[in-house]
Amino acid sequence: MPTTADTVPYLDISASDFAMASEAVRDARDAHWYARTNYGIAVLSYEDVSTLMKSPRMIQGSAKWPQHHGVHDGLFHDWWAKNLLVLEGEDHHRIRRLANPAFSPRKIKALGDRFDELANELIDQWIDSGEVEFVEGFAAPFATRVLCIMLGIDEDEWPTINRLASTVGAALGVNIKAEIQEIDAALEELHRYADQLISDRQQNPKDDFVTRLVDASRDGDSLSDAQLQNLLVLLIFGGMDTTRNQLGLAMQSFIRQPHQWELLASRPEELAEAAVEESLRVNPTTRWVTREVVDTFQHKDLTFHPGDTVHMFTYASGTDPEVFSDPTRINLEAERKPHYAFGGGVHHCLGHFVARSDMQAALPALATRITNLGIVEGGDEWMPDSGNTGPVRLKIAFDKREASETAQG
Amino acid sequence: MKVWVDRNICDNHGQCAIAAPDNFSLDADGVLQYKEDFPDADLEYIEDAMDVCPVQAIFLKGEQ
Ligand code: HEM
Ligand code: SF4
Repeated sequence: MPTTADTVPYLDISASDFAMASEAVRDARDAHWYARTNYGIAVLSYEDVSTLMKSPRMIQGSAKWPQHHGVHDGLFHDWWAKNLLVLEGEDHHRIRRLANPAFSPRKIKALGDRFDELANELIDQWIDSGEVEFVEGFAAPFATRVLCIMLGIDEDEWPTINRLASTVGAALGVNIKAEIQEIDAALEELHRYADQLISDRQQNPKDDFVTRLVDASRDGDSLSDAQLQNLLVLLIFGGMDTTRNQLGLAMQSFIRQPHQWELLASRPEELAEAAVEESLRVNPTTRWVTREVVDTFQHKDLTFHPGDTVHMFTYASGTDPEVFSDPTRINLEAERKPHYAFGGGVHHCLGHFVARSDMQAALPALATRITNLGIVEGGDEWMPDSGNTGPVRLKIAFDKREASETAQG
Repeated sequence: MKVWVDRNICDNHGQCAIAAPDNFSLDADGVLQYKEDFPDADLEYIEDAMDVCPVQAIFLKGEQ
């Protein structure tokens, strides 16, 4: 199947009006399995994202992010160079092997009731006012307090953790260099939290997540204090913004499909999982996942060369009509193939069982208590729909559900 | 006891190969290859592999 340069679509992914959830991206995907961009290859179709995302011929590809944006030293630079996401081969696998048991789905499930209580506690605070700024009133405190619960940090400290994690999160933006001083300062504070947790659990072991990481050992190997510290900071960094943004995006999708929201409200336990998976599929916060080619290889009509940058477009692949019927719409009752919002392969999101179980508590709790949702005119503001996206503000008007309506849930 | 992967569910993420490399590996094309038999002493690692599989495709079969 010969392909000439002009049948391969081109996407300018740094144009100010570029959006992942757009006709342009969907058209490109329907025309060809990949597009050229001003910064690497974009893989668009479901089938090819699925194959290439996990290819052993590529590495994660984010290692040089700080250098590419002019940051050559300092705490963030040094921390980034040693974090799990950018480590490869045995350096990476060893840490995952030691960390994985603490993330076992059975252990995470045990936190489900606590996540459910938290969701309802937050809803109680605004349910009688008929309106909520969802990011501030739910998504941010929920995402941050989930991490506090998991890591055993006092939940009252959530505003500080939230502020620090958001500041460090700015390091993934293109303005990293301008903001590097604040980023490094916030990161230092997060390191201090991590230090305290580690030394506390070393002295007073508990039946909790951090103790399991501190005690993790295999074949005489265990995580050093520096590795534990790096990992705990990564969990806060990788777990907070993502979950907060994803909750806001899920609400955006369900507001567009009130019938599906009512369906979730009527069968909350049964449909919780589908609600989370479908919102990740049609509206993922992680709009793309990057890889760097290490071996020359051929895939279909394209030869990949070492050093090539390849983006796996999760929104485009998750809404591919070849694989999904009525692809951009949530359908809680459809059988769906897995999406790639959590990445894939050896770097597949370490925290996905946590994210899944907390969102499976949050969405049904919301659906069973509020109805007739609408975005308040002028009340929403969004991050650019290119890198990691989500609402900055999302003011939602709603009706409180009558008690009798939820009786069946 | 043997370990068994449901190929209809497995999505070749290779997390099992990190957890229990003596039983699981990905071939050059990134497709899972594995052995059903394992020494009793490795049960712990097999269980880690079952836990960590993102799509929960790994099962034990046989007596226990
Ligand atoms: C909706 C929420 C979340 C989304 C969409 C998400 C998405 C992702 C993605 C796309 C990756 C990169 C995978 C790849 O390159 O193939 C990743 C990696 C990672 N995530 Fe998440 N994540 C979420 C929540 C969390 C949470 C709650 C935690 C921690 C508790 C977490 C911890 C991590 C870690 C440690 C990695 C690096 C894994 C590695 O490189 O081996 N994530 N996540
Ligand atoms: S971890 Fe699960 S999905 Fe991945 S290769 Fe192993 S069995 Fe398959």
